[in-house]
Amino acid sequence: MAKDIRNFSIIAHIDHGKSTLADRLLEYTGALSAREMTAQVLDSMDLEKERGITIKAHAVRLEYDADDGRTYILNLIDTPGHVDFSYEVSRSLASCEGALLVVDATQGVEAQTLANAYLAVEHDLEIIPVINKIDLPSAEPDKTREQIEDAIGIDCADAVLASAKEGIGTKEILEAIVRKIPPPTGEDDKPLKALIFDSWFDNYQGVIVLVRVFDGKISAGQKIRQMATASVYEVAQVGIFSPKMRPVESLSAGEVGYIIAGIKSVHDTKIGDTITDAGRPVSEPCPGYKDIKPMVFCGFYPTSTHQYENLRDALNKLRLNDSSFSYEPETSLALGFGFRCGFLGLLHMEIIQERLEREFDLSLLSTAPTVVYRVTKSSGEVIFIENPSLLPDKYEMIEEPFVVTTIFVPKDFIGPIFDLCQEKRGVQRDFTYIGKDRIKVEYELPLNEILWDFYDRLKSLTKGYASMDYDFLGYRESDLVKLNILLNGEAVDALSLIVHRDKAYYKGRQLTEKLREIIPRQMYEVVIQAAVGSKIIARESVRPLRKDVIAKCYGGDITRKRKLLEKQKEGKKRMKQVGKVELPQEAFLAVLKIK
Amino acid sequence: MPEYLYIHIPFCVGKCLYCDFLSIPFDEALAERYVNALCGEMAMRKDSAGTLRTIYIGGGTPSILSDKLFSTLFACLKANFLFSSSAEITVEANPGTMSGSAVRHMASLGVNRISMGAQSFDDDELRTLGRIHSSREAILSAGLIRESGFENFSLDLMYGIPGQTITTWRETLSQAVSLRPKHISAYELTPEPGTRLYELIGSGRLVMPDEDSIMEMLDAGLERLSSYGYEHYEISNYALPGYRCQHNLNYWDRGKYIGLGAGAHSFSKDIRSQNLGDITGYIECLERSELPLEKSAPIGPEEAMREMIFLGLRKTEGMALHTLAASGLDIPGCCADLLDEGYLRIKGNSLCFTQKGLAISNELLVRIFGRLGL
Repeated sequence: MAKDIRNFSIIAHIDHGKSTLADRLLEYTGALSAREMTAQVLDSMDLEKERGITIKAHAVRLEYDADDGRTYILNLIDTPGHVDFSYEVSRSLASCEGALLVVDATQGVEAQTLANAYLAVEHDLEIIPVINKIDLPSAEPDKTREQIEDAIGIDCADAVLASAKEGIGTKEILEAIVRKIPPPTGEDDKPLKALIFDSWFDNYQGVIVLVRVFDGKISAGQKIRQMATASVYEVAQVGIFSPKMRPVESLSAGEVGYIIAGIKSVHDTKIGDTITDAGRPVSEPCPGYKDIKPMVFCGFYPTSTHQYENLRDALNKLRLNDSSFSYEPETSLALGFGFRCGFLGLLHMEIIQERLEREFDLSLLSTAPTVVYRVTKSSGEVIFIENPSLLPDKYEMIEEPFVVTTIFVPKDFIGPIFDLCQEKRGVQRDFTYIGKDRIKVEYELPLNEILWDFYDRLKSLTKGYASMDYDFLGYRESDLVKLNILLNGEAVDALSLIVHRDKAYYKGRQLTEKLREIIPRQMYEVVIQAAVGSKIIARESVRPLRKDVIAKCYGGDITRKRKLLEKQKEGKKRMKQVGKVELPQEAFLAVLKIK
Repeated sequence: MPEYLYIHIPFCVGKCLYCDFLSIPFDEALAERYVNALCGEMAMRKDSAGTLRTIYIGGGTPSILSDKLFSTLFACLKANFLFSSSAEITVEANPGTMSGSAVRHMASLGVNRISMGAQSFDDDELRTLGRIHSSREAILSAGLIRESGFENFSLDLMYGIPGQTITTWRETLSQAVSLRPKHISAYELTPEPGTRLYELIGSGRLVMPDEDSIMEMLDAGLERLSSYGYEHYEISNYALPGYRCQHNLNYWDRGKYIGLGAGAHSFSKDIRSQNLGDITGYIECLERSELPLEKSAPIGPEEAMREMIFLGLRKTEGMALHTLAASGLDIPGCCADLLDEGYLRIKGNSLCFTQKGLAISNELLVRIFGRLGL
């Protein structure tokens, strides 16, 4: 049976047409009738649709009647398209034998395409290049083909020319999947070995785990063990998505499907972990398991204290479905009670914040994102700092996370990229021409430096042509200092930063200037200072408010004027009182707006 | 029942740059239909009014109406409402729109107060504002008003005009007091969204004086007018003793009133309502003998308290402490710091803003509301 199965993923850069192609495959194979198709079925969360990004991986079983007269089972394993989720991508790819590499014929190869394509190569996947959007007048299929060959080193002679939007090439893609991607190997008789590549929480059924079975068989009633967590569960149901959930009797070697086993929380399953039979375990788990940890942290505080409980409940609910997101209660002198939250990256952070505000109707204040610093105290004890204000005054050594950043850029824009990476404390590691007019550069950069405005500046310096990706390298010692911001002489913990010593002066000046613009005039003068240790390095002030009055107020105007005051009152509600100073929310993100 | 009546005349010679009131260019035939519509509205609403203490005919430019239409308007007023000869009856007028005979005609009808929009006595500033008259015309008009027997007249002045300086403002103030009005309104010019002025400032073609200059002008006005015996009784209003505008004081005391005419507002029994703002729509509605109501909304108890506070504290006399206490509003108790820091003060049995407090009264009101839980 396994010889009629094909397991594959689609890898593509954002907007290169992955979701549209997936829809087209579903439609063509009759998994969904045209009537049932809502645009982009696989991206089921609203946010995913709005941002055009796939956040959660899914797996759909398609049945395809091929030209050779046989009916094949095709398992399409969807992958997230963003660098923040690259570990999840790698686990999805590990569950496949092949991948469609979708490249937009008008855009060419981008950094993410490359990163994911390399991942696919590492996993020995059969890669089928698909050159998409060939219906567009600006499509350059030949040039795109050449770029794929140069950058990834795969033969593109047989690349499928397609337009997912227009339905061109759909059948050719399905035929290529059947002919080129090898069927899964593995034996039903061997001990069970299944890779968890995704999981989520369902209100009615508990945790649903997506697996790829490599060896053995899994069916209801079976006792299973998760090897990394060493926990044992009894399987209640196994099934597939077609694309609706459909229970089946068993999942055999080579198959992809879901398991429901009375697991209460997604934190009790780890993506990348191996499931085996509790009574007849496999000796070696699937390779590549990592316990992933959040890379980026920020504080979330309710703007009004009475929302604290609601925020905690909301964080708890989101965490049910997102094992890569963490939170811990924390207290800030300036902001009161809140939570320090950890994310895989900035996008992940933005998504969580947006969901908290939108789905749970919370008004939140977030502090500037920070990386995790490794600090060796004088006593030799090593601590991790996720909140700059907690950096001790004295320590032996401070280290920060470094990443290797891959940037893809047309050669005309390479100059500004060098300057940008230089400014961000980068060290060049590689420089390669891809084709005649594109360059791939690799830089080792502190993660902290690319957190803030790196991506936006990269885009604006290159008129949007550059793309980037990054991968964690490790911790390295740096000459870092804590930059404190004082308002009327009082340090505001939620505004402190850890910065490189060489940049402290510049950042302090920029930040105080920015805060002067952001902080509205109030009844009293507000003095804004930046300090490193006890040394003041910059000072600005906001003049006190002298005039704020409605000049004319007669009969007809009364309602309008009253509303004006009410609006002003609402505005005040969104401010955070820090001592005698009222700070708007933007103040806490001011640091993101400076270069 | 309301004892204060407002009548809106929405016609002007032209629109001033800063104007966000309801007005359209004057048209004799339309004005006649409009006055007839007003008479119709009076007939429909007369029963909801008590004996009138004030009548205020505002605009627009009411002085643009012909003698004949004024006669019709007053005949209708007398036919529908009760008011004594001691009632304060004000007509708004603009320089350049009135003759001596017209002013005498108004007097003969019972008008006893004229409020003239002089705005400035600097011709450059008048042009900037888009006014249709010169400073000389304003001076002549003021003379004419006084000669026609109107002892009680008021002048509207503005400060904070683009191009205005403390010197030109002092000259305007001097000129104004030399005309011996009983009352002066001195407003800070506020560019309202939707006006030409707002656009011109937004696009940088006009520049407002800076805040320090405006504060200096405010102080200069206060000082100059006080020295001539004018009492500062509301944020933007000054009067010689006994000449405060009763009609406007009623708004700040949150009293009831009836507003007639297109776009006019009324307030009664904790309901604020507004007439149709579309002039033709207003006329046609009354020609069908229907009430020209556009919207009407009840004011909840908390809104009512906010109104009472923000209106009452506009007066330099402030609000009686017992009135506040009766509504359970302990402002002195919850705002001790604002009293200590000299933004609020207690004068006799009243609570009021100080001059420093009035200048930032919005900020202070918002704080006061917050502390009162309003």
